[in-house]
Parts: sequence; structure tokens; C-alpha cells
Amino acid sequence: MKKAIVIFLLAVFGFFLAVTFLDPDFEAERNHNGVKNFYLDKTVSQLKTANTVTAIVVNFRGFDTLGEVTVLFLAATALGSILFKKRHHIGDRTVLMPASSIVSAGSKLIFPAIILLGAYVFIHGHLTPGGGFQGGTIIATGFLLMLIAYRDFSISHNVLSVIESFAGIGFVTFGLLGFMNGGTFLQNFMGTGVLNDLISGGVIPVIYILVGFKVAAELTGLIYTILHEKG
Amino acid sequence: MVGSPVLLIAIPLLAAFLIPLFGMVWKESVRIVPGLVLAYLTYLSASLYIEVINTDTIVEIIAGWRPPWGINLVFSPLTGFLTTIMTFMGFIVWLYSYRFKRNVEFEAAKKYFIFLMLLVAGSVGIVITGDIFNQFVFIEIVGISAYALTAFYTGRDSAEAAFKYLIMGSLSASALLIAIIIIYSQLGTLNMAEIAANIDNMNPYYRIIAMIFFIIGIGVEAEIFPLNGWAPDAYTEAPGPVGGAFSGIVAKAGIYAMVRMMFTLFDIAGPMKILIVIGLITLIVAETSALRQEKLKRMLAYSSIGQMGLVLVAFGMGTKAGVFAALFLMLNHAITKPMLFLSGSFLTFNTTEKYIKQITGMAKKMPVVSIIFVLGALAITGFPPFSGFWSKMAFLSAAADENLLFIMATILIISIFEVVYYFRVINRLFFFEYDDKISVEPHKPGFNGMIALFVLAFIVLMIGFYPSSVTGFIDLAADDLLNTHQYIDKVLQLGQTIIQ
Repeated sequence: MKKAIVIFLLAVFGFFLAVTFLDPDFEAERNHNGVKNFYLDKTVSQLKTANTVTAIVVNFRGFDTLGEVTVLFLAATALGSILFKKRHHIGDRTVLMPASSIVSAGSKLIFPAIILLGAYVFIHGHLTPGGGFQGGTIIATGFLLMLIAYRDFSISHNVLSVIESFAGIGFVTFGLLGFMNGGTFLQNFMGTGVLNDLISGGVIPVIYILVGFKVAAELTGLIYTILHEKG
Repeated sequence: MVGSPVLLIAIPLLAAFLIPLFGMVWKESVRIVPGLVLAYLTYLSASLYIEVINTDTIVEIIAGWRPPWGINLVFSPLTGFLTTIMTFMGFIVWLYSYRFKRNVEFEAAKKYFIFLMLLVAGSVGIVITGDIFNQFVFIEIVGISAYALTAFYTGRDSAEAAFKYLIMGSLSASALLIAIIIIYSQLGTLNMAEIAANIDNMNPYYRIIAMIFFIIGIGVEAEIFPLNGWAPDAYTEAPGPVGGAFSGIVAKAGIYAMVRMMFTLFDIAGPMKILIVIGLITLIVAETSALRQEKLKRMLAYSSIGQMGLVLVAFGMGTKAGVFAALFLMLNHAITKPMLFLSGSFLTFNTTEKYIKQITGMAKKMPVVSIIFVLGALAITGFPPFSGFWSKMAFLSAAADENLLFIMATILIISIFEVVYYFRVINRLFFFEYDDKISVEPHKPGFNGMIALFVLAFIVLMIGFYPSSVTGFIDLAADDLLNTHQYIDKVLQLGQTIIQ
């Protein structure tokens, strides 16, 4: 009886789910009234940002991004606090096998290139696909490679924490500067320059670079914390 | 103009990033700065609230884009009312826990205060935002702070509780995201006011499925049955004051999100009465479970869930009197339940299990704290002349107006349950002899904790003797919630001024 009720309810639910997702009808006329066209138009005409996704993430919905950055900060802090007592010193890590000489030699070679690529991705976040989150993640993978290749590779938690804090403070401060200059929080108060120039888009690239630093520091810190947990 | 609603979010976030830096320089600052921030938020929220009541709702735009293109914050008599309660309770919880792990563990204390501050900021964000995706982000912030606070003691049980909460919270967040995707795919907007204005154009299938996902997504924070499995464990395992913060702040934000969705977004609270069904089931299950609990904090947690059910039933009536009663219940619960949690953690200080039998005869050792606990218990069960009496009275008269006799009967029976399980504790507290073997060793409660408790007790008594001091505010808030058209107009008119 219980099973029959559950199956019946799931069937009803599944029916609605199927109706919803088999035919989402994204192309319908009604969607032309939404916010989409406004974003596409204003990104070029007013914000002078070549990458619309960046304009939406950093400016139109910059408040959400600030929230997401905070979520990441909280997640990193939470993991640190839960694993805090289990952390131990460098050298007696037990999670990893010793790396082969190919890995350790190769990673030294690739490491600077990865960092450069990451920096490129977040500095050009407003011009090309990519941005702070992606660039930061790329940089963190570079550190992950180094941590795997060299068992005694160490990163100062204090330095990471300082970078993280300064990037976060920078984000909020730029928001508040907009509040003071332009009247609303996170407003683009700087000159927007010429479309497709490296220095264009006002505060958008500045904020995305800060996000890049923050994400890189946080993800590196996360990886470091997890690797140093007792296995 | 003292400030602007966005500062309610921006200042705590700024402080959260600053605290690690301050902590490197001066260790005491990690506990002082959150207190200053919470005090400032309370002040800002209260003064904005007074301004809103005297003039008009503040609709704040962000990044210079008017609704529906940008994100907007709405500080209305309703959201202002809730924000003021939340920030104030945040400050009280901070005051109570000021000495938490002082001179013992610096890292842990620093993180505790960051999480506590962002828990409050996130809850405030859920309430004042006017955008569904932004609300989702704030639900994430609240969720992650809450998981971390639950897992704070890093023991086996707290890890289990936090993991349970994490799984339920993440699944519900995905459900919420699906609901948001469905709405965006149909209406092309994320702004609450514009969704509310266009919801009738939406295909009923999409509407129902989006609503179901919304209920699942928000239900976890609002503690409705059957999505509240995490709550008793989390309340029990988290540090004492955090239980107060969960019941006084987070649950209120969850209920608000639920109600805003039902009343404004989907506009179906009136005809469908779905909230009454959800609320009644939550109420009955939680209160009967509370009867059987042997741990104090677990019992309080079930009582908290039950009260949330009661609030939802009151909202579900959909009438002015019902909404009034619901908001009054929320106010009283937000003050009384943290009072019980805070005094309860003094009574069972430093025990891991916090069994009810451990407080046997404590009234003779810690009379003041015991009396405050009893005051809270009497207020929450609805004894006159304490605050809970008036809200339960408002609830019953609202139900009577609607001829909902079944609900009235249920609530009165459930009230007996409440009296039974609270008086069981009071009986042990006052009329049993102190026993060295079972009871906790009494300790001297901290000065700051006692101030926090006295402030809460004062408010309970004040609302009890002079209910008219708050009913005016609640009345305005109830009007604000029911007037959907006014909400839509206020937000969208702002958008029209710029197109021209």
C-alpha cells in the first residue's frame, strides 16, 4: 500500500517533470520581451564590454557574484575549520604517493605557463571567453600540480589568507565606491573606454581580476587543506 | 536618510573579509568587530524601518540598472519588520557568545564569529532581496554558514548532523535552481515583481511544477515536514547560541521566502490553502515528537519546528487577521525560542548530551536563569500575561473568523502537548532535589550572557503587558504582504521611469 502511494505520487510528479522538460519552448515569442535583448544591447552600447557574459556576471548581476564569492569564501573557511584539528606538518603527508621524476621535472616546466594562462584568462575576462572564476581555477590547478609533484612544496596559509581578504575587500570597496560616486552599489563609475580595448569596461575588468585572485587563493587553500589531512 | 538597505549586506561581507586581517594584528578584534557590525546593522535596520513606516517603501537598485534588468532590494514595512528582528537577535546571540572559546582556541573562535555574522547577513539578504536568483545566492550563504556551525565541534555526531543537513540543503538548493530555471525559461525574467505581474501568462503545467520545486527548495530552511529531518540533529549538535540563531533568524528567513513565493510570486495562498495542510502536518508531527524527547535541545528543536508549522497555518488562512497572527507568532517565537535556547545552554553547561534529567533541581543553584527559562516556556505555551498569549489569541480569533473549527480544535489540543513537555522540564527544574550524580555542576553564568537574557526577558514581559506596543507595526507589515499589486507597482514603476 505504502509503495503504491509512493509510486503513484512519483508518477504524478514524473508526468509534470516530463511535460516541463520535454518541451521547454525556449524559442517562443514570449522570450523576446525578457531581459535578454536589453542585456545584449546595453553591453555594447553602454558598458563597452565585448563579453556579454562578463557584463552580466560582473555588472548587471554583480550582486549575485559578490554573493557567490562569499559562498566560496565560506566554503573554504568551513573546510578549514572542520579539518583544522586534523591538519599536520608538511613532509608527513600520507595521502600522496611520491611522484615520478617525469612528473616532477615536467611540472616545473609547465607551472609558469599555467600561471600565465590563468592570469591571461582573468585579465582578458571582459574581452574573450573566460574570467575571474575560470582564471582563478586554472591557477589553482597549477598549484595542485606542484603539490602532487613535490611532497615538500609548501604554501603559506597566511599569504593565501591575506590575498583572499584583500581581493574580497577590494570587491566590496569598488561596490561602495560606486555607491558614493554614482549613487548605487556596484555601479560602473569609471570611464568605459573603447570597445575591445584591454582597458575598457570601467570597473568590470578590475572586479574580475580581483575575483580571479580570490578564487585562485581560495581554491589553492582548499586543495592544500585537503592534501594535508591525515589519510 | 541614515543609510541604505544595501549596506545591510555590504557591511557584513566587507567585515567578513576584513576579520582574518584584523585577527593577525589583534586577536580580540575577531570577536569585537562582528559585534560592532551587528550593532550597526540593528541600528541601520531600525532607523530605516522607522523611515519606511513614516514615508514610503524603499526600493533600492543595484549597479545602476532599474528593475527588471538589475537586482533590486525592497525595504518595505514587512521586510523592514523582519530585518529589524533578525539583526537584533543576531546582536543578542553575539552578546551571549562573546566569551565563546576566549583564550582557548583562536582559529575556531574566529571562524565561529565569521559564520555567525554571515548567517545573519544571509538571512537579511533573503528577506530584503527582490530577485529570485539573488535569494537563491543568499540561501546558499545561509546554508553554508549553517552547515559549518553545525559541524563546529568536529565530533562524530556533529559531523553526522552537518552531513545530513548538507545533503538535504544541497538537494533542496538544486530544486530551487530548477524552479528558477523553469520560471526564467517561461517569463524571461528573474525579478519577483515582474514574475508576479506576468505569472498568469505562464502555462499551468510549468507553474505547478515550478511551485513544487520552490516548496522543496525553500522548505528545508523553513523547516516544514518532511524536509526538516536535519533540524533536530543540527540544533542539538551546534554550539548552544547557534540553536537560538537557527530558530530566531534562519527559520524566519525561510518562512518569509515561502510566504513571499506563495503570496506574491504565485498568488495562490488564498484559494489553495496548501500552506494550511503543510503547516498542520508539520505542527502535529513535530509537537508529538517533542513529547518523547529526552534531550533538552532536541525538545526545543522540535518545539521550534512545531511553531513554524503554526506560523504557516496562520499564513495559510490568507486573511488579514491570519497574516497578522502569523507575523505576531513569528515575532514572539523569534524572541522566546532563542531565550529558551540560551538559558537552556546555561542550565546544561558543558555537557555533551544535554539530557533533560541533567537539569534536575538546578533552580536552587541557578535561580535567575531558571526563572528566565520558565518565563520563556510560559510565553511559548501561551500563558497570559506573557507575549505568546496574545499571538495565540490572535491566531485563534483569526481561525474563528474563518470558521476553521477543525484547526482551532487541533491547535488547542497541540497546546496541551506543549504544556506537557515544557512542564515536565519545569517540574524537574524546580520541584526535584538537586542530585550530584545526575545533575550538571552549576557554574556562574557570564555577565554578557545574563544581559542578553535579561533583554529578551524584558521584551517578552513588555509585549505581554503592552501588546499594543508592537501590534501597530505588525498591522502595517500584514497589510504590506497582502497588497501584491502595490508591491509590483512600486518595483516596476521605478523601471518605467528610466525607459521613458
